[in-house]
Amino acid sequence: MLRAPNRLVCLAIIGFALALQSSAGTAENQGLVTWQDDLAPIENADWNYETSAHLLERAGFGGTPAQVEALAALSPKAAVNSLVNFDPANNHHLQAFEHSGIHDPGLEPFPPSRPATTELAIDTGEALGVRVKPEGNRRLQPVVNKFFYWLRASRLETNRVAYWWANRMVASSNPLQEKMALFWHGHYAINESKVRDYRKLLNELKLFHEMGTGSFRDLMVAVAQDPAMLSFLDAGVNLKGAPNENFAREIMELFTMGVGNYSETDIREAARAFTGWNYVDLDFVINEDKHDDGVKDFLGHSGNFNGIEIIDLIMDQPVTAEYIASKIYRFFVREEISQALTKELGNTLRDADYDVAILLETIFLSKDFYSAPSVGSQIKSPVQLAVSTYRKLGLESVPGVPDFNQATGALSQSLFRPPTVAGWAGGRSWMTPGLLLERGNFARDVLFPDINFLPPDRVNGSSEIRSVADRIRQGLDITSATQPSSLGEGGVMAESNMLADRDEEFNTRYGSFRGWQMAIERVIPIPRHTARLNLSKMLEDRGVENTSEAVDYLLARFMRVKPDNKTRSMLINFLSEGLGTTSITEAQSYMEDSLRLVLHLIMSQPEFQLG
Amino acid sequence: MKKNRKDKILDRRELLAGMAGLSALSMVPPAFAQAAQAAAAQAAASGKVLVILELSGGNDGLNTVVPYSDDAYYRNRPNIGIPKNELRIIDDHFGFNPGMAGFERLYKDGKMAIVHGCGYENPSYSHFTSMAYWHTAAPNSGDEYGWVGKLADSIAPSAPSNYLVNIGSRQSLAVKSEKHVPVVFDNPDRFTREAFAAEKEALDIVPDIGEVENPSRRFLLDIARSANDASALVRDAWSKYDSPVDYGVNDLDLQKVVALLDAGMPTSLYYVSYRNNSFDTHVFQNNLHRRLLTYTSDAVAGFIRDLERIGRADDVALMIFSEFGRRVPENVSLGTDHGAANAMFVVGNQVKGGHYGKLPSLTELADGDNLAYTTDFRKVYQTMTQGWLGHNQSANLLGGDFGTFDLFS
Repeated sequence: MLRAPNRLVCLAIIGFALALQSSAGTAENQGLVTWQDDLAPIENADWNYETSAHLLERAGFGGTPAQVEALAALSPKAAVNSLVNFDPANNHHLQAFEHSGIHDPGLEPFPPSRPATTELAIDTGEALGVRVKPEGNRRLQPVVNKFFYWLRASRLETNRVAYWWANRMVASSNPLQEKMALFWHGHYAINESKVRDYRKLLNELKLFHEMGTGSFRDLMVAVAQDPAMLSFLDAGVNLKGAPNENFAREIMELFTMGVGNYSETDIREAARAFTGWNYVDLDFVINEDKHDDGVKDFLGHSGNFNGIEIIDLIMDQPVTAEYIASKIYRFFVREEISQALTKELGNTLRDADYDVAILLETIFLSKDFYSAPSVGSQIKSPVQLAVSTYRKLGLESVPGVPDFNQATGALSQSLFRPPTVAGWAGGRSWMTPGLLLERGNFARDVLFPDINFLPPDRVNGSSEIRSVADRIRQGLDITSATQPSSLGEGGVMAESNMLADRDEEFNTRYGSFRGWQMAIERVIPIPRHTARLNLSKMLEDRGVENTSEAVDYLLARFMRVKPDNKTRSMLINFLSEGLGTTSITEAQSYMEDSLRLVLHLIMSQPEFQLG
Repeated sequence: MKKNRKDKILDRRELLAGMAGLSALSMVPPAFAQAAQAAAAQAAASGKVLVILELSGGNDGLNTVVPYSDDAYYRNRPNIGIPKNELRIIDDHFGFNPGMAGFERLYKDGKMAIVHGCGYENPSYSHFTSMAYWHTAAPNSGDEYGWVGKLADSIAPSAPSNYLVNIGSRQSLAVKSEKHVPVVFDNPDRFTREAFAAEKEALDIVPDIGEVENPSRRFLLDIARSANDASALVRDAWSKYDSPVDYGVNDLDLQKVVALLDAGMPTSLYYVSYRNNSFDTHVFQNNLHRRLLTYTSDAVAGFIRDLERIGRADDVALMIFSEFGRRVPENVSLGTDHGAANAMFVVGNQVKGGHYGKLPSLTELADGDNLAYTTDFRKVYQTMTQGWLGHNQSANLLGGDFGTFDLFS
């Protein structure tokens, strides 16, 4: 392609503008274009700050210039090795998740719905560890309250698990472990609103942390026997004589082979092999009397296969290694992968007996990984955007304002809440005009915290619930307090309209309100500190003297793909006007506000979305 | 050279180049009138428009279109069943909820099809899960993209700008598309970057794609331009919109649809919703539900009248759905709990009004005292994609051929 020389010039300028140590070779990467699809390892001579920054961005969440420089000082092999074959001891500073203590044994097994709960209570006199009142009005109210309590508390606690994980992503010395966990989290997608048990989600995350870079076969077996997945895919209702195909189908369609590599018969036969697989509380169990141990015909083989044997048969299929290897590639490198490369990577994974770490090493060391189409071409996912922004700001923890889950949710990705079992589409689907504008708003919320922030783990999002709370406090009886408002959503009814308190078994809306109240009594609040920023000091430490250097420093530190010269000039002019001078030294004592505005402008650029 | 999205935008820019821009701040002035003419020509060529209205929360179909002639209805709902003399009678079996003057008029004018018993196998009673199934047309499964997004990809794989509009606080899964960039906004006046005053000028500049190599970067610059352009188009369309038609208390964003149609926005697919799980009427249902239905009915009736005013009534069909119906027996709190099969509505000048589908039985109930579905909802989707929009590749995006109802004249 004839355009290559322009890019080389552009790279040379960027390398220059960094004003940091950059090894020889930045401007000499003629190989960049021809490196595409080449899995041969990158040479030491081609290893520099730019390649290290790219590696850290993809294998982790990016980092500060110092962290990139540390990688650049190593050989490529040593750098990749430090990330992929990480030492858990590096993370002794990270804490285990602190449970709020919301669960009690009476909640197990949790019925599938509120009607199922009240029916159980009526039939047996008790549900969720709460007795039905022998007499009086609303005999079932305490049961219903507890039902809604668990729903709300589990949801809030799941948000805390998400925060704990996000903090690991920001603070971990082994970022690849977290990045790989994020990949598996999207691959083995389960949603809190169906599972309704934060403990299961936490345990599944643990699997991803501990087994994420090990054997894919072992991980598949572990996930298939994990209560979170069993609960999400209704495996518990997979019984001999009435096998539930959902579990078998998703394993084959989404987790291992992809559509078109098995028949409907294969699904039905596999479902038979998984019958009896269930869970009790947090433990996997096999109900032998529910298990169909007859002969199954699966993918051309015949035998009394059980679930694990089915998984091993799936692993034997050539397509499985290719499916997983190419999905990992698309997550870490780029969306388009050629058939030839798919086969090559599939072979790599299969020859490594499904050892994911070996596949990752191959990918991260390959020239293809550092080729032009692979570098700076990925649209950051919302979680990647938030975490890498925090890392590049030098933060050691995730701020409580803005709320991490709200922020990433507004950008269309919430941890533990993928839209469907197929996970997040990723790639360009992260971006629409509205979402681009929202990303700018996220940056603004970090750099200029909202003083009117209302913590979502205290203030209930539903105006109807808040209205019930107000009316109860005013002394209205339950019937009056839970009347749908006649003044539009959330408006409070006049007291003169109070009705007589009804006779009823229970009141759902009151339960919803009381459940929320009980939940926030127990769930530990998320700390609401803002980002501790001092951009002035950041520049001062680097010896920046004028506004051009300041903008260049910020561009180099925060952006993997630089905007064009017009934008750079605009930023420099903007800063100079804001400061009333081009001298950083002069403006030292008052430049924080202007620096933050410039950084907001930088983070609103389309190019900032690329990693 | 292969034609791509960049070329489409360049063509339009060349058209616009001669006109004085409305916005002095943008490097690519969105000369609205020119764009509108070009867009209107394109829209006229492609013809039909599909609007989808989502009623979120699980609308109680039985108290919307009441089967008053069936005793089982009153037996199951001794308290919240609506007496015949309060209903808006449309025939010997059915009457609309008293709040729905608009729907009664539309039905009697032959512009409304009611499809009974829509649902799917093994229904989910979870708002989130069931709505995701409806959004992806993949019940008991999943997809990364929405059915409307896939429809856009299938009909218009070259992905022209502004083909899909979703009015809401965030992008619905239903419009999530592989190739298209849906225009998503809530308040047209606020469909603009939230920036500090000092920054506004700086942020309105979108650089030329020009020599940019990196395809992802080109895509993002397109998005940025689209954000500026689309937002300008939307704000302008809204400021020019001036209608005497009364939409009632809550127009459900249908006025914005009319505003964009009138301004010649080249959009074929619109998605709006009645938000916040409003129809989730677990307690003391009747007054609230009647209000919700009144607002819905008024909005839809206003929408049809407004379309006639701007001369687009023959081009537009509106499909109304909810993620599930509600349980047949009332509950102890004078409300209803999550159910299964439900009625869907299709409204428009070209609709052959009447009842469609097979009525679910009120005595032979499915699991949990719910209505058993008699029509897979994807048949109604296919009726809209194939029967209305004339798209014959519907099987791919719906995961099968569900057939169509003969709904349109």
